[in-house]
Amino acid sequence: MPNTVVAHRGKQFTKMLAYGLASLALYFILYFFEDEILAFSSRGRWYFIVPVAAAFIFSLAHGNFTSQFWDMLGIKAKK
Amino acid sequence: MDITPNFVDLNVLNVTYLLVVGFIGGLVSGFIGSGGAFVLTPAMMSMGVPGIIAVASNICHKFPKALVGAIKRAKYGQVDVKLGLVVGLSAEAGVLYGAHIQESIKRTFGDAGSNLYVSVAFVIVLAIVGTYVLWDALRLRHSGHNTEEKVARLARWVQSVHIPGTMVYFKSIGTRVSVLFTIPLGFATGMLAATIAVGGFIGVPGMHYILGAPSLMASATELVVAFVMGLGGTIKYAWGGLVDIRLAMIILAGSLFGVQLGAIGTTYVKPHMIKFVMGVIMVMVLLSRAIIIPVYLAELDLIAKLDPDLASGLKNVSFVVLLAALATGATIIFTALWRGMRIHRAELVMAGATGGVSPAAVVVVPARAQLSPIGRFERFLVASDGSEYAAGAEREALNMAKKCGAQVRVINVIAAENTELDSMGEPLLARELSAARAHLDKVARQAAASNVACETEVIQASEIFQEIVNQAANMQADLIIMGRRSRHGLARLMLGDVTARVIGHAHCSVLVIPRAAEISGRHFIIASDGSRFGDTAAATAGKLALLCKTPTTVVSVTSPSHSEQRREEARQAINRITSFLALEGVSADSKLLEGRADEKIVEAANAKGADLIVVGSHGRTGLERVLLGTVTERVLNLTPCAVLVVRST
Repeated sequence: MPNTVVAHRGKQFTKMLAYGLASLALYFILYFFEDEILAFSSRGRWYFIVPVAAAFIFSLAHGNFTSQFWDMLGIKAKK
Repeated sequence: MDITPNFVDLNVLNVTYLLVVGFIGGLVSGFIGSGGAFVLTPAMMSMGVPGIIAVASNICHKFPKALVGAIKRAKYGQVDVKLGLVVGLSAEAGVLYGAHIQESIKRTFGDAGSNLYVSVAFVIVLAIVGTYVLWDALRLRHSGHNTEEKVARLARWVQSVHIPGTMVYFKSIGTRVSVLFTIPLGFATGMLAATIAVGGFIGVPGMHYILGAPSLMASATELVVAFVMGLGGTIKYAWGGLVDIRLAMIILAGSLFGVQLGAIGTTYVKPHMIKFVMGVIMVMVLLSRAIIIPVYLAELDLIAKLDPDLASGLKNVSFVVLLAALATGATIIFTALWRGMRIHRAELVMAGATGGVSPAAVVVVPARAQLSPIGRFERFLVASDGSEYAAGAEREALNMAKKCGAQVRVINVIAAENTELDSMGEPLLARELSAARAHLDKVARQAAASNVACETEVIQASEIFQEIVNQAANMQADLIIMGRRSRHGLARLMLGDVTARVIGHAHCSVLVIPRAAEISGRHFIIASDGSRFGDTAAATAGKLALLCKTPTTVVSVTSPSHSEQRREEARQAINRITSFLALEGVSADSKLLEGRADEKIVEAANAKGADLIVVGSHGRTGLERVLLGTVTERVLNLTPCAVLVVRST
């Protein structure tokens, strides 16, 4: 049983790392291409898709990362 | 390209500030469903962000945050997506109308008039709703019944109103409610969101006190409403190019940490805590807005001019109280989460010390005591005697729990006054207990392998069926799952049948699974006699069929001696149930049969190759059952497939 638990935690850590790196990459892109992204996203009209899509993509990567993060710290929902 | 909006430069201090405020706002939103964002617009404006861009960026971070929070809380079974979408779509209309009113006031009375309108709206709404929510939370806390949430009188009346063509079933409410109530509620939520940026201050209390949803589910469902409203608002502002994507994503970075933690927090607290946090925040925000009203009144020349220092001081105090409201809410949530986790860990340690707890988790009694809503499958009690007759029940219970995400408690009740064991002395009893323990450990290992939360216990009791019923009541089980030992005729009369007696006395539904039966989702037969028992069975079967994506057949059986009127009633009953199932998205057909009810039901099940028969229970016990038997019991004895006996509450 302890082996299973260790394997499970290892898998969970890998997932957290993957989502964390994806989230970090997204924020780096936002930081390094700040002006371009801001100009692109604020053109208005059909470009409204840019901030909406960005919000979805960030929430996917960062949302999963934060979920795994609290899980790894042992802060889990009461079952 | 010329970018009209004035986007600010960001520095490390600004970014840190937004991350921290975002985190606290997310924490509150995840916990009470809304209310975390109202401080962000003034916070951004204090950094020099123009008002309209602050509003647009705030709303752009709000909808993904609400989405993540809703998904998280849906995993805990707290979200009613249908109610969220219905209220959310009407809220969109409210947002548009609310924004229109805002613009009209601004055109007519200028900024001060608009600010005064917002502050007065804050004060009136929060004074009425906030104080009531806080009073109710404190009342529950001091009454000693802080785990019970009664449906408000207004909600009971709303649920009793039947307006044909407008009734929709909502799982959080557990019954049908007319959309003529939900639409105005959504509209008011949207109007408030457009006015004071926190629609949830109406939405959550409205869903709880007016519609009758439990506060935990109302706060979780509000996240769906916030997502719908937020997405609509973002599109509106982004169409005008007003969203500062950097600000929105920085706040989102902090708030997603917060929203996850807030959602986790809801699983550790009693329902009155949700109301308490919401009430405290609402009353403090009310205070914050009340402080600033004289400033706007003076600006509109409705009262004497204020000293500029006094006006500025009042504005600062108001903002500080606003921040304090959020900080107080966050502190209460942190404290409740920390305390809840500490108690839970202590419980786990104690449970571990007594043995029999699978590593997956333990089955705990829910924080609020309530009747099991129709078709809820969250807590299963499996009664096993360790024999081959219980193998099917154990196997299918774990399969079903995995599908439903339910928690399972498996018990083996050994008769305390077993004369056979008594006469042979302690060793045999010890051997029996040890065999039962070993068997349950095996079940616990199977549960852990299937990733199902499971706890097991061997219990000694004088009356086995009564102990099973009591155990189910104590853990507020949604379903008792057990096997069946076939006994017919005289044997049943003389020896009694634990399964039949559990069905007769249980306060929840009972799923009886013969040894070789398997619920693979081929076909379900729903037996209805046209009574409310049959209707409850249909509603529950609908939930299960939806979960297993299984086609269903609704069967009603009339006797040749029945009148034409009785037949017509049966026809109407099965048509009503079939339409209900179709509305729920379940594939359903119907059959009106004639003959002996038990035989015809089993024949229909055999013809369809069904793997489950669902029947309603009249809950007959004692002499009446012994003399008359029940259709349910006869079906149990005739069929080789599983039978779900749904108890009407």
